[in-house]
Amino acid sequence: MEGTSEPVLDASSRVTNQLIDFQWKLGMAVSSDSCRSLKYPYVAVMLKVMDPAGQVKSRSFEMTIPQFQNFYRQFKEIAAVIETV
Amino acid sequence: MLLDLSEEHREHLAFLPRVDSAVVAEFGRIAVEFLRRGSNPKVYEGAARKLNVSSDTVQHGVEGLIYLLTESSKLMISELDFQDSVFVLGFSEELNKLLLQLYLDNRKEIRTILSELAPDLPSYHSLEWRLDVQLASRSLRQQIKPAVTMKLHLNQNGERATEVLQTDPATLLHLVQQLEQALEEMKTNHCRRVVRNIK
Repeated sequence: MEGTSEPVLDASSRVTNQLIDFQWKLGMAVSSDSCRSLKYPYVAVMLKVMDPAGQVKSRSFEMTIPQFQNFYRQFKEIAAVIETV
Repeated sequence: MLLDLSEEHREHLAFLPRVDSAVVAEFGRIAVEFLRRGSNPKVYEGAARKLNVSSDTVQHGVEGLIYLLTESSKLMISELDFQDSVFVLGFSEELNKLLLQLYLDNRKEIRTILSELAPDLPSYHSLEWRLDVQLASRSLRQQIKPAVTMKLHLNQNGERATEVLQTDPATLLHLVQQLEQALEEMKTNHCRRVVRNIK
């Protein structure tokens, strides 16, 4: 994904969506309309997904740090399982 | 301006002289109620049984009345024009007077209902905002980049929609200046003149 300019298509791209890009950023919310003084760190993820028809859609979401840590743990588990296959 | 009543419409309205004025007045009341709340087919069946005619005949009669009232109200035709338009139906003077009264009594309310049928663009409901500082991203670490994240809540056709937007403080300032400029336009002589003339 890093440095890839063209999506890599495989057999499953005819049925499922393909992840084209995964961007992230780490931010800190310092103020909002409901709470003037914040110190709220979060991880924002911006995904680019291509459907089987070839249309690219953007999806973004945010996670709190504990949510992100859980997210990260999932991927660590996936990586560990792949090792055993 | 005269109403142009189609053949079919005249046929439907032809039912009205066949019943007495109390029934026509009742149909008028039903017609306005249907405009307010939507139609209820059961009402047609009940009336059809009492009058000993088919439910379709009653339905056409009431719908013909509804259409007569909405078209007249939509165009805001004068009393005289309404009377002349109805005259071609060949009804009795009593029935004509009843229809005219029905029109005059209800047209303001019908116009209010009709105004709600105009196409609806999403409209502002509320805005939530958050001031963020971006500390790192996939491509660059050790940053301090301020950003404003906004959640715009919109209403459309009674439903809620949200848009999440993000911008930097400089663009936000520009946005605010543009909006202030739009408001300022209301105060110019040109806008004032146009608004005064519409009123």
